[in-house]
Amino acid sequence: MNHVTSETFDQNAKAALADSQLRGALRNATSLFGQRRLAAASSLTNWEDLRQQARAIKDDVLLHLDRYLEQFVANAESRGAKFHWARDAAEANKIICDLAKERNARSIVKSKSMTTEETHLNVALEAAGIQVVETDLGEYIIQLAHETPSHIIVPAIHKTKKQIAELFTEQLGIAPTDDVARLTSTAREKLRDRFATADIGISGVNFGIAETGTILILENEGNIRLTTSLPQVHIAVMGIEKLLPRFADLDIFLKLLPRSGTGQRLTTYQSFITGTKTDPTSDGPEELHIVMLDNGRSKMLSHPVTRQSLACIRCGACLNACPVYQQIGGHAYGSVYPGPIGAVITPQLMGLQKTQQLPYASSLCGACREVCPVKIDIPRLLLYLRSEITEKAPKGGLGERLAFKFWRSLMTRTWAYQLSARVGRVFQSFVVKDKKIGPVNALGPLTAWTKARDLRPLDRQSFRELWHNELSKTKN
Amino acid sequence: MQNRSTTDAARDSIFQSIRANLAASVTHDALESEIHHEAIPVVSSAAPLVSEQSLVQWFKESLEAVDGHCLVVKNELELTATVSDIISRLQETNLRARRIAISDAPEVESLVKALHVDFDEVAVTPSASEVFSFDVGISCAQAGIAETGTLLLDSSRERHRLVSLVPPVHIAILEARQIVGTLGEALSQLRQTEKVSPIATLVTGPSRTADIELTLAIGVHGPQELFVVVLDT
Repeated sequence: MNHVTSETFDQNAKAALADSQLRGALRNATSLFGQRRLAAASSLTNWEDLRQQARAIKDDVLLHLDRYLEQFVANAESRGAKFHWARDAAEANKIICDLAKERNARSIVKSKSMTTEETHLNVALEAAGIQVVETDLGEYIIQLAHETPSHIIVPAIHKTKKQIAELFTEQLGIAPTDDVARLTSTAREKLRDRFATADIGISGVNFGIAETGTILILENEGNIRLTTSLPQVHIAVMGIEKLLPRFADLDIFLKLLPRSGTGQRLTTYQSFITGTKTDPTSDGPEELHIVMLDNGRSKMLSHPVTRQSLACIRCGACLNACPVYQQIGGHAYGSVYPGPIGAVITPQLMGLQKTQQLPYASSLCGACREVCPVKIDIPRLLLYLRSEITEKAPKGGLGERLAFKFWRSLMTRTWAYQLSARVGRVFQSFVVKDKKIGPVNALGPLTAWTKARDLRPLDRQSFRELWHNELSKTKN
Repeated sequence: MQNRSTTDAARDSIFQSIRANLAASVTHDALESEIHHEAIPVVSSAAPLVSEQSLVQWFKESLEAVDGHCLVVKNELELTATVSDIISRLQETNLRARRIAISDAPEVESLVKALHVDFDEVAVTPSASEVFSFDVGISCAQAGIAETGTLLLDSSRERHRLVSLVPPVHIAILEARQIVGTLGEALSQLRQTEKVSPIATLVTGPSRTADIELTLAIGVHGPQELFVVVLDT
């Protein structure tokens, strides 16, 4: 396991920036996904309307979450699903370990689920002596390498095929190859045995439909279909916010999610699972257990700004669009949710104490808000979290706080502002070089600030002065 | 042992937390709506997809765009000939196509009886432990979606969950009148039934991944070849 945590974001980011192979891979991936998303979105004439509708639906769900949950649970239970409730990760893991132990399960197959990454389920299962194998190709690679995913949609985005080939040679004993088709078919063959003998299949959930009790899971590989149809027991883990009111709402969300995630019109497979099978002779699991996870989500309902975090459908579009993620990748965030959405979700899930640097991992450019299929205002959330951080534990020393007090008094008084501008015009000549205020060492605490930013010097006349002078000219 | 009362306590406290936090947000919400006058979204649908071509042709093009094969036949005789041809061609490749798993649809059973091609074995709905040794799965589909080239497999109407998934080749028989234009139409068809089917699956092309260096690889865990034969009488 790598021990990168959110606490050390600044160092993580610096290390990532020095990794030219990683940055090359990120550049390719994020630009390709960005282009595909744009092409897929513009293939629909009503993309903006779809986003608005999707957000309105999610807002409705979140504002009435208790009622929609009751409806969803009642409908799924009437069809044979069993529900389990977990306040936090430990409770979720215990529920699943207990279910496995009660059934004497030896082997579990798992499909990709960010929610179970969030709870570190695999660690808990292994500690309980239960074998668990990830079956999504990217997750399988990550598991073999004892790493963590670096992207929501493409977990092994940070690894080259050469590294993957070496990993397969070492761990699976195949002949060295750099043929992607061969690597893929190796994983297929290795995992077939696991599917055939698994006692339990564990999956995530993309959407839960309140009016029918249906869970919907999207994928391209087919491992989710195998996970949910071969073992006799299916355990689905979902965050409590994943609901949609009506079956018909899927028409909107199935247009938005694949296009935003991979640029596909539709992913290869959508599995609609409503309770357990009615005919005992037909294919499929006999038991369906749905584990509902809170783990900090209900707390986000307490304010409209934080509540929108729960509208996220985990498409990964904001990662690809983010100039920070594009440079440093997912691991630097030290959390299962990287990129802009990670920078706002992780601090809310894990508490601000250990994640202080994440809300600052952004230039506030707004690209994430532009691409978000459910219009989450991530920059506003970042600012909200930043202000929470400074209010709880004022940053900087006495000097900095006094400096900002002084700044504020200048900015809120016209005469003081005008005077300071005049004074500034005189004294800026000491620091202006090449028509800009570049890195200056003599500015004391401002040295660090100017190191990464060029400032425009003050003009000879302010806008007010220009306006005034022009007006007096026309009068004459 | 699973402790029922623990998870009941957890359920109650999660609902309590949801309600308390929503109650706490009311004042913020009021302020928020003063600041932001978000327009209520206009419920519009996409510009009507007017297609010059038939639904069958539209379906075929969409399916081929995602690496599926689509063959259109005019009658049962052509259907038998086409499926026989697909299998005999596959037999020349490393996909072998000697062991055939079929769903319990009577149409599929009679089709397989009429095939004029050699094979080693045919099994109707082999079990989870047997199905891995089959080369080809044959089933019907319950609907087709033209705009995406998608099949709807409703497992309450046909037992095709494993035969459509595990063998490396899936051949699906689709009647032309079952093809609808849009995803929305297929979803409402799925919803219309009194009780939503326990298992329904949308299938768009063969299994795929791009998890290694974003290089597309066809046929990871599901079929690597998908043939849809449309019966357009």
